[in-house]
Amino acid sequence: MPHAIVVEGLAKQFRRYHADRPQTLKEAFVRRWQHIRAGERFWALRDVSFDVEPGQLVGIVGSNGAGKSTLLRLIGGVGHPDKGNVKIQGRVAALLELGTGFHSELTGRENVFVSGVIAGLTRRQVTQRLDSIVAFSELEPFIDSPLRTYSTGMQMRLAFAIGVHTKPDVLLIDEVLAVGDLAFQQKCLARISQFKADNCAIVLVSHDLGQIRRLCDKALWLRCGRLLAQGEPEAVIEQYVAEMETETRRKTPTEWPVRTTPEGKELRVHENRFGSMELEIVSVRMFDRQGRPAIELRSGDPLHVEIDYSAPQRIEAPVFSVTISTEDGQACTDLSTAAAGVTLPMLEGEGRITLHFERLDLNGGRYYVDVGAYKQNWDYAYDCHWHSYSITVLPTDNKKGFLHPPHSWEFGDISHEPIQK
Amino acid sequence: MKNLGGNLDVQRLIYLRDLLRELVVRDLKVRYKRSVLGFAWALVTPLLFLSVFYFIFKVALSLEIPRFGTYAFTGMLVYSWFQTSVSQASGAITDSRELIRWPGFAAAVLPAVSVTTNLIHFMLALPLLMMFLLIDGTGLKSVVLLLPVVIAIQFALTLGLGYLVAAGNALFHDTQHLVAVLLQLLFFLTPVFYDAGMVPERYQALYRLNPMVHLVEAYRAILLGGTWPSGSDLLTLGLLAAGLLYVGHRVFVHLSYRFVEEV
Repeated sequence: MPHAIVVEGLAKQFRRYHADRPQTLKEAFVRRWQHIRAGERFWALRDVSFDVEPGQLVGIVGSNGAGKSTLLRLIGGVGHPDKGNVKIQGRVAALLELGTGFHSELTGRENVFVSGVIAGLTRRQVTQRLDSIVAFSELEPFIDSPLRTYSTGMQMRLAFAIGVHTKPDVLLIDEVLAVGDLAFQQKCLARISQFKADNCAIVLVSHDLGQIRRLCDKALWLRCGRLLAQGEPEAVIEQYVAEMETETRRKTPTEWPVRTTPEGKELRVHENRFGSMELEIVSVRMFDRQGRPAIELRSGDPLHVEIDYSAPQRIEAPVFSVTISTEDGQACTDLSTAAAGVTLPMLEGEGRITLHFERLDLNGGRYYVDVGAYKQNWDYAYDCHWHSYSITVLPTDNKKGFLHPPHSWEFGDISHEPIQK
Repeated sequence: MKNLGGNLDVQRLIYLRDLLRELVVRDLKVRYKRSVLGFAWALVTPLLFLSVFYFIFKVALSLEIPRFGTYAFTGMLVYSWFQTSVSQASGAITDSRELIRWPGFAAAVLPAVSVTTNLIHFMLALPLLMMFLLIDGTGLKSVVLLLPVVIAIQFALTLGLGYLVAAGNALFHDTQHLVAVLLQLLFFLTPVFYDAGMVPERYQALYRLNPMVHLVEAYRAILLGGTWPSGSDLLTLGLLAAGLLYVGHRVFVHLSYRFVEEV
């Protein structure tokens, strides 16, 4: 089968923002047009080659600034590559910045027309698909209200609904699958599977490694514009994660004041503490139902994990995570603000983040609570405390495993009725 | 790379027409949606200008131009279509960053949206002008059928210039301010509220290098004079407009790969 996308030796150079090139005519005039073409350049992409077959879903991973979005745009025909080329079979559609062309004063319906035409449909096609688009977005009752009355989630749903109605041969998706609630996400994923089944080639940029693992047939790893690995998603992600850990180790300062946890454990960098320390986790405390320090819990008790941080400089959209694991290192739960769809604002100074477990149905035993703060998109850790905090769950009637859900036994005659309670 | 509408198949043309239409409709709706006067706003600005001109040039300075109201109003409408189009086109690229970075988006449609939106304002004001003509007894002659030709020439001329200033502003962000000043100066060098004949003979050649002089005169000949405008003038103007449009579009397309990276 011919490839839907062939990227060969693609390279793209950009000027840096602070480059010497005059931004205004005035500057250009003052400098007598000397530096118009000068300026520091850097390669946003270097010698990138890969191909995508129809019906294949390819995921791209990499930290911020690795060139993922540039690559996606070049595939979409925005901008000129400096070397190499991109060959595309068929029509390209994109789910990049959702809601391009939306205007808050117009109604949902009016916006469907504008945005649909921008996305590449003719008016007639938009008219034909209007009902289907509105149905997909689940916004029927609001479709004639101005967009400014919509919540962000509703706007995203409308935008996504338009995007998936373009019937492309090549679909480019940039980090937009975290749209709306879980049910809507499922619907979007189902739609993407449908595209795949219809032989659409899809390129997906995502920071959600789990998503790449689940959805993609192939993964690409970009770092500083170079393609470091491509192939089986599992293998590529493993390399990428290993690289992030190395990066964190590299950024961890060699000397840092030793801190003592409430349990009396010492936190030492490069031993049980890793991270660049741009944002520091200054205290982690755990409380039970009564607000007392949680040292011993009964299974099913609530638990509140309170994380105090200090950020001397501005930190953009960090990610906080809490992992509970058994003493031998098996993860019981691994939660993060990013996975919960919580985007933190810009943090500066001191603050507190609390994770509430309404109930913790763990089996009896001792567990580690690892907390961490990471750079946006998990690029590396700011501060990670590993195996430094623990809780003990009092013994239960459960012999093995780490789960102890609420349960009861019932005793009676054989009946063919399904169990009611 | 089907970015810029190079391949002129029918489907593509239909698409570009739809895109232009939707963006123009969006602009118009957004502008008038929450205003009481609605489309009447298109008339308010020229009418306000007109009343001030009338006061200053007719009442205060008593300029000897017959039917000064319709005379100045014609010039006003023609020039304000030109001025607002070019000034909006200069921001067309820089104000639509997300659009021009959209895969497959035909950036060349944006300056056309500016010119078309203002063409619609111009057309909305035309009935009012016709009414003025009937009131002051000029009436309309059959030569008015030539009006679409003059409008087409002005459209091409404005769009050609629009492409140049849009691309210019994407590369140098202060082009917009420069354009605004030049448009204001050009306003005084265009016979909007005076007659081109008042300019001394020795400056005429220089003065007439401004295509807007000929354009305004052509409109006036048709509407106020009921006569055919100078054929050679119209032909030169038409050729100039076509040439400018071609060059402007070429320059725009040539630079468009650069400004998707720079805006």
